Amino acid sequence: MVRRAIGTRRRCQLNAPPVSDVTAALAERVRHAHVTGTALRITGAGHWLDAGRPCRADASLPLAEHTGIVEYEPGDLTMTVRAGTPLDALRAVARGEGQWLPLDPFGHLGGTIGATIATASSGPLSAAFGTPRDHVLGCEFITGTGNVVRAGGRVVKNVAGFDLVRLVTGAWGTLGVLTEVSIRLRALPEIDRTLALETTAGEARRWLRASAYTPLAAEMISARLATDMGIGSRDTLLLRLGGNRALVHAAAESASALAGSRDVDTTVWDTLRTREPADAAVVRLSTSSSQVAALWDRVASIVERAGGHAHATLQRGIVRCMLPVQSDDAEEHARLRGIVGALLTLGSSVVERLPSSLWAKMVPPAASDALSIGVRRAFDPGHVLNPGILGELA
Amino acid sequence: MPTDVAQHAAPDLASRLAALVGERRVLARPSELRSYESDGLPGYHARPALAVFPGTRDETIAVVRLLAELDAPFVARGAGTGLSGGALAEGSVLLGLHRLTRILSIDADDARAVVEPGVVNATLSRAAAAFGLHYAPDPSSQTACTIGGNVAENAGGPHCLKYGVTLNHVLAITVLLPSGEVVTLGSADGERDGYDLLGAFIGSEGCFGVALDVTVRLARAPQAVRTLLADFSSVNSAAHAVSSIIASGIIPAAMEMMDGPTIQAVEASIYAAGYPVDAAAILLIELDGAAAGIDDDAARVDAFCRDAGARGVRIAAAPAERARLWQGRKKAFGAMGRIAPNLVVQDAVVPRTKLPAILAEIQRIAELHRVLVCNVFHAGDGNLHPNIGYDATSADETERVHRAMAAIMQACIDAGGTITGEHGIGLDKLPYMDALFTPATLGAMCALREVFDPGRRSNPGKVVPVHSCREWFAAPSARAGGAS
Ligand SMILES: Cc1cc2nc3c(=O)[nH]c(=O)nc-3n(C[C@H](O)[C@H](O)[C@H](O)COP(=O)(O)OP(=O)(O)OC[C@H]3O[C@@H](n4cnc5c(N)ncnc54)[C@H](O)[C@@H]3O)c2cc1C
Repeated sequence: MVRRAIGTRRRCQLNAPPVSDVTAALAERVRHAHVTGTALRITGAGHWLDAGRPCRADASLPLAEHTGIVEYEPGDLTMTVRAGTPLDALRAVARGEGQWLPLDPFGHLGGTIGATIATASSGPLSAAFGTPRDHVLGCEFITGTGNVVRAGGRVVKNVAGFDLVRLVTGAWGTLGVLTEVSIRLRALPEIDRTLALETTAGEARRWLRASAYTPLAAEMISARLATDMGIGSRDTLLLRLGGNRALVHAAAESASALAGSRDVDTTVWDTLRTREPADAAVVRLSTSSSQVAALWDRVASIVERAGGHAHATLQRGIVRCMLPVQSDDAEEHARLRGIVGALLTLGSSVVERLPSSLWAKMVPPAASDALSIGVRRAFDPGHVLNPGILGELA
Repeated sequence: MPTDVAQHAAPDLASRLAALVGERRVLARPSELRSYESDGLPGYHARPALAVFPGTRDETIAVVRLLAELDAPFVARGAGTGLSGGALAEGSVLLGLHRLTRILSIDADDARAVVEPGVVNATLSRAAAAFGLHYAPDPSSQTACTIGGNVAENAGGPHCLKYGVTLNHVLAITVLLPSGEVVTLGSADGERDGYDLLGAFIGSEGCFGVALDVTVRLARAPQAVRTLLADFSSVNSAAHAVSSIIASGIIPAAMEMMDGPTIQAVEASIYAAGYPVDAAAILLIELDGAAAGIDDDAARVDAFCRDAGARGVRIAAAPAERARLWQGRKKAFGAMGRIAPNLVVQDAVVPRTKLPAILAEIQRIAELHRVLVCNVFHAGDGNLHPNIGYDATSADETERVHRAMAAIMQACIDAGGTITGEHGIGLDKLPYMDALFTPATLGAMCALREVFDPGRRSNPGKVVPVHSCREWFAAPSARAGGAS
């Protein structure tokens, strides 16, 4: 027998906050969809609905109206928001307190926090701050059977129970509809300075590896994209340095050894985020950081020759390629298929966007291993949440 | 639920296990099993049916496959330093992994390593030091605890304030599922699409299977380090200093608080670190990173402490002094253990702005129940360790400790916090799960566990109260999906 020494015999009061009316109403819709077998397309602000595989859906489940800050205690550097809250709105509120959510996914600045977490989207700042899994402290979500689950919490450290938060982060809505999230914020750096350096990926990576400084972001920009953004005409490293004055000054000095460096306005990061044409095919290739320069050299030339752009988050080993889609005809699709096919052989890949006809032909389903199938079955047994988006029923 | 091995295949099982790992590596006699009856959690004793200690990955796989075939429950065990009773294995087969101690590779260029689960946390950092690297998560038990146990508990440590916990440092794990199947979760070479099953596995407390090897990220040694010791005449002013430092945007590598009783225990022990014995609280604050600007940050931290009422702040002048200051902190539990026969090391988290209020509340609870609480904790994260020394042979005192702990847990929940920040639920915290999570949330946890371990044979009875699972699987919606 286990002799219980420490622990309580009293059952404590249940004091989880009550589920909001909006969440309850959404849960009712999902429960109904489960019972009737109605496939639901979960939508946020709708800026990125063409990302991911084509979804088979009978109805949409909009979250965009479900906005607002539930709780913000600046001293805790944590915030709880409804899932439909746009990132730019959140940014404005946090900035008022000298804080930010250092998460800068590509695309419209008004994308919702819910979609960002559901798709695990991140941008250049992930080099220093990580991806959504590193920012989310807790969330409320509705399973495919209409159960409301409140996972994690609002504190920065928490190992109570199995980690449902990581499970739904990046699940593209297929395990649950995110209705509310708690995130950790950071204080804005005293100095936030960006340099543009004309250099190669190999040089940049060597500098990063040897440097005593940890930049907020270090993004390689292909020549054509650099020209487009007005920051240069060759492959360019955008280096974002943060910290106190002495630190940033020393880091900038050190980086200037790379190539003639130029200060650029920090708005360049928003320019980069919103640069891609709405209809571009987007593929992310990745490898270990020691191999990223070699990957870049191969990829950037293929992409630029095809009329596209590339940029790379060097420390994370990720090269993101954007290929314009000129028309929706068979010939253009065949051209794209050739280029994307060549890219996919070069590293690990995550495809963000493709013309719908190409998905099934080119990209194997995600989450097709036995454990993933089991998880999906456990959380959305009727396949009513964004069915097809992971390739499972497409 | 599978039945106890004891009432099941036991006699035959021992010899079949011995055939896989060798006679000497299977323990079955009560006298031999005594040291495996408990872990770091005091007061609990649970006798495993058997203990088996495979020496290689292949032996481990063979053992788990045999247990699967026999439907026998098992509990993985690393170093047994866990503080929530996670490695207790009553009636189960205890699967000891401490012989799997190979560091399979260290890749300096990509700053990562692949290790077997029995590798001790500090051993990995020592091996990586040759490359100017270290493994950042540094639980105070790092000289004993294993990477497998760290992964299972999602362990933290003082330096996790800046560098993140185990979750943020693991790239991939090869997992031996309870069925005996081997799968890889996560990816060391680039991103993959799909569910974050790696994230789900980390912190699953041995309930999702056995980590066979772990690929971790290594951190570079910082160019410069400054370690400050701030001395306060009240716990409240130390807590306020923590808040202002966090709010300023400076992220110390570590920010630890120790209160008066803890300081006195440390100073009276062989780990005496030169802490001011008359202080009501001290903060041990470490800054690290590039040399440029670090002294400016140190000066600001110094000012924040003094503004909050610090009587003095000093910076460790040399590495030896720094090491001594840290030794006192890391051995604080050991030092407290010397002043009372039993020590319960608690773990909870509150929002950082609630630190002054919760520390006052803990003091009030301690007085009410006439127990002595020693606080030593990760203040920068709001991760409390209110510890109580007591004598377990006194029923009255044990009862008062019980009540005080329950009240402290409830106070942390009421403050918007949680019941564990790094030690896990195990057995010890099961009674509080209902207070923290809704039935649907606990049910979802059970459903997730069921995917990894449909027979619930891997560390049975831990983390989620059994009644929650029963309720979830009895619900019509779950049944409709056949969520098993
Ligand atoms: C003095 C002291 C100080 C401590 N300080 C800290 C601290 O600062 N931070 C912190 O986070 N913790 C701390 N701890 C708690 C403990 O050391 C950690 O939880 C540690 O991660 C446990 O490792 P272990 O090898 O001892 O695991 P064990 O105690 O052997 O096992 C813990 C759990 O992990 C499971 N497990 C073990 N190996 C595996 C594997 N390979 N695969 C799957 N599951 C496995 C077990 O089943 C069990 O559920 C401290 C403990 C002590 C005694």
